[in-house]
Amino acid sequence: MKAFLERCIQSVQDGDAELAAGLAREALERGYSPLEVIENGFVKGIREVGRLWEEGVLFLPELVMSAEAMKLAMSLLRPALAKGARLATRGHVVIGTIEGDIHDIGKSLVATMLEANGFRITDLGADVPVGRFVDEVEKSDADCLAISALLTTTMSGQRRVIEGLKQRGLRLRVKVLVGGAPCSHEWAQQIGADGYAGDAVAAVVLAQELLGSGTAQ
Amino acid sequence: MNTSSTIKTGSFPADGPFLLERFPLDLDPSEVRRYLGNKAGQRLKSDTRFDDLLAESLQSARQWIAPKGIFLLAAGSDLCGWPLFAHLERMAFAVCTIGPALEMEVTRLAGAGKTLQAVVLDAIGSVAAEATADAVEQRIAAEVSGQGLRISCRASPGYGDWDIRSQTALFSLVPAERIGVRLSETCMMIPRKSVSFALDVAREPARLRGESSCTDCDQHHCPYRREPSERREGKGE
Repeated sequence: MKAFLERCIQSVQDGDAELAAGLAREALERGYSPLEVIENGFVKGIREVGRLWEEGVLFLPELVMSAEAMKLAMSLLRPALAKGARLATRGHVVIGTIEGDIHDIGKSLVATMLEANGFRITDLGADVPVGRFVDEVEKSDADCLAISALLTTTMSGQRRVIEGLKQRGLRLRVKVLVGGAPCSHEWAQQIGADGYAGDAVAAVVLAQELLGSGTAQ
Repeated sequence: MNTSSTIKTGSFPADGPFLLERFPLDLDPSEVRRYLGNKAGQRLKSDTRFDDLLAESLQSARQWIAPKGIFLLAAGSDLCGWPLFAHLERMAFAVCTIGPALEMEVTRLAGAGKTLQAVVLDAIGSVAAEATADAVEQRIAAEVSGQGLRISCRASPGYGDWDIRSQTALFSLVPAERIGVRLSETCMMIPRKSVSFALDVAREPARLRGESSCTDCDQHHCPYRREPSERREGKGE
């Protein structure tokens, strides 16, 4: 079993989606516990990938390849989890790019990495009105709101979302993350966000810190 | 795309606007890698797989790239409300784009969960937009050289210390709608893979503040910052 788990870890590190999917199927055929294969195999792989990224060893496409391998393996294993099995989820993140800003790809990358690391994602897309972010928090069980802004002319929208949350009494219900080229730790502090992340892996680390070690799903 | 460039309107020394379309673009794979964060000389364990993907993406991207550019010549003081270049007697102001098709495909790929292909195609689009601006810049240089004039490096609103809000002034000068580019209320160009710029046209052009030289830019943590050893020839960077 240990050797099998090592292969799962390696498949994610290598960003080999085909191999990861093959291993997920093999695990099911052999009757291995999906929970164990996820937690002691694939999850360890994606954690290592995050570490290698932070060390500057990995190149962006490699990071994405690993995330996609992880997501594919998870999509095969998740339905096989025994009824009542408690797979740790890091929480529910609602993500989008603020109104007036149609930059999409960086936000999508953050969503992919969060999902690969066990977060549930609602992606609102780009050019999302301030009110839509607030509405989504009100109607969903979101634990975290991640707002992207790529322009100095649109970043003020992040502040308006936070103000909107306060006005509707929702601010304490969610953690708010901000990101995008013109943002910074200082900006996050200035507008009352809970944190700033400079890239997709930093967003994962920050979301994990802010939301604790995970809740049961 | 590989047809000859054409100037549809006007001829120098008239001030334009000059419209350029249907010109060849050289899409450098190493530039795409740089946009994706690959440092010069960095070897990757997935090199072969990635190179295959990059080659395929570059090939298919060409169907979604339609380079166009428009520029005109005016005095720096014509950029109303922005005194940064007011002292320059003659400048070129330009807007370039690769059109909307590529970014629509990026959005489609990202929506379909094909993040890797989306990220790579997006980077190709950025390289294509820059290559379009390079081509327009070269055309400006060629046009003014007959007058014994030379051009400075490019400066773009929103880069270095040139405020992005000056886009409105630049767009009020350059009829960018003729190449299908408009400006949002937030000063964002639509389509996104577009470049606007200004440069000095003079016998001895000054190096503009906020020019494309990374070494002169104070955004030291910019992920796209070029080290001096990575400068490309002929770009003045």
